Amino acid sequence: MTQLANEKTGKEKRTLVQWLFNPFKFIAGYQALLIGLAAIILTSLLGSLSNTHFDGVLDVHTGLQSPLWIFLCEGLINWISLAVPLLLLGLIASRSSFRTIDIVGTQALARWPYLVTAIAMLPAANRKVLEYLISQYTQGQTVTSLAPTDIAIFAVAILLTILMLIWMVALMYRAYTVSCNIKGPKAIVTFIIGLIGAEVISKIAILALFRTL
Amino acid sequence: MKVLPTKCPACGNQLKVRKLLCRDCETEIEGVFDLPLLAELPTEDQDFILQFIKASGSLKEMAKLLKLSYPTVRNRLDEIIEHLSAEWQSPKNTEDLQQNNERENK
Repeated sequence: MTQLANEKTGKEKRTLVQWLFNPFKFIAGYQALLIGLAAIILTSLLGSLSNTHFDGVLDVHTGLQSPLWIFLCEGLINWISLAVPLLLLGLIASRSSFRTIDIVGTQALARWPYLVTAIAMLPAANRKVLEYLISQYTQGQTVTSLAPTDIAIFAVAILLTILMLIWMVALMYRAYTVSCNIKGPKAIVTFIIGLIGAEVISKIAILALFRTL
Repeated sequence: MKVLPTKCPACGNQLKVRKLLCRDCETEIEGVFDLPLLAELPTEDQDFILQFIKASGSLKEMAKLLKLSYPTVRNRLDEIIEHLSAEWQSPKNTEDLQQNNERENK
């Protein structure tokens, strides 16, 4: 009866899967922009605590100590680097008219899985394992006290980072298709072009940012 | 209330109106009539259009009403427009349009 009523009114039942993989069905525009920007800023703040840099649209690297504004700029550069090319590709490929705020807002929100990555990188065990691995590679002074729990925490953080990367790309694609109303092979091809372009743009911009230090 | 069938349950083709009835005087009119273009749409699309009109054609209002995002609602409307455009440009409708024009010219 409820389903029939929903069909009649056009209201869609919100499932957990829809919220996780296509929240843009329910959230877009300024609402998505505000939540997305909050997630980007929080990710940058947490990243600065563990020296985790999101130094590219898809990149996560840890180690280099930097001022807080570098982490904040990285987050904003990554977001804009993808939103602008996808906006231009959408204008070329989409037959529908769409709002700039939708693509900009949903692309900001699509970056939220990296907030989980920033949290996963917080434990000191990650740094210990990384220092150990670097010392092994450079044959420098080795970290002696590497507990099994350190390795376990590091393994979980790496696994979570990979999962969050996949999830984030899936969300970015969904955000693009919903905002620009593009489907099928055209959507896949233009999204891949946009993502590769964004990765290059963000890398160049962040490199230029580090040169200012 | 019974739902008006628009497609043939046997072959899936578009149905035509064969008979019309006046419930007051029971006059019956027989012939072969096309269904209006909007009536050929699925029921949920017809409901969407009705709500769109009720919302004064505001997609923002529709999004609030349906608790969906603006682009989702706009994409749904685009799908309906595409569907209607395809129906309108189908050979059947083009022929009808030509016949109407010819009749008007005479």
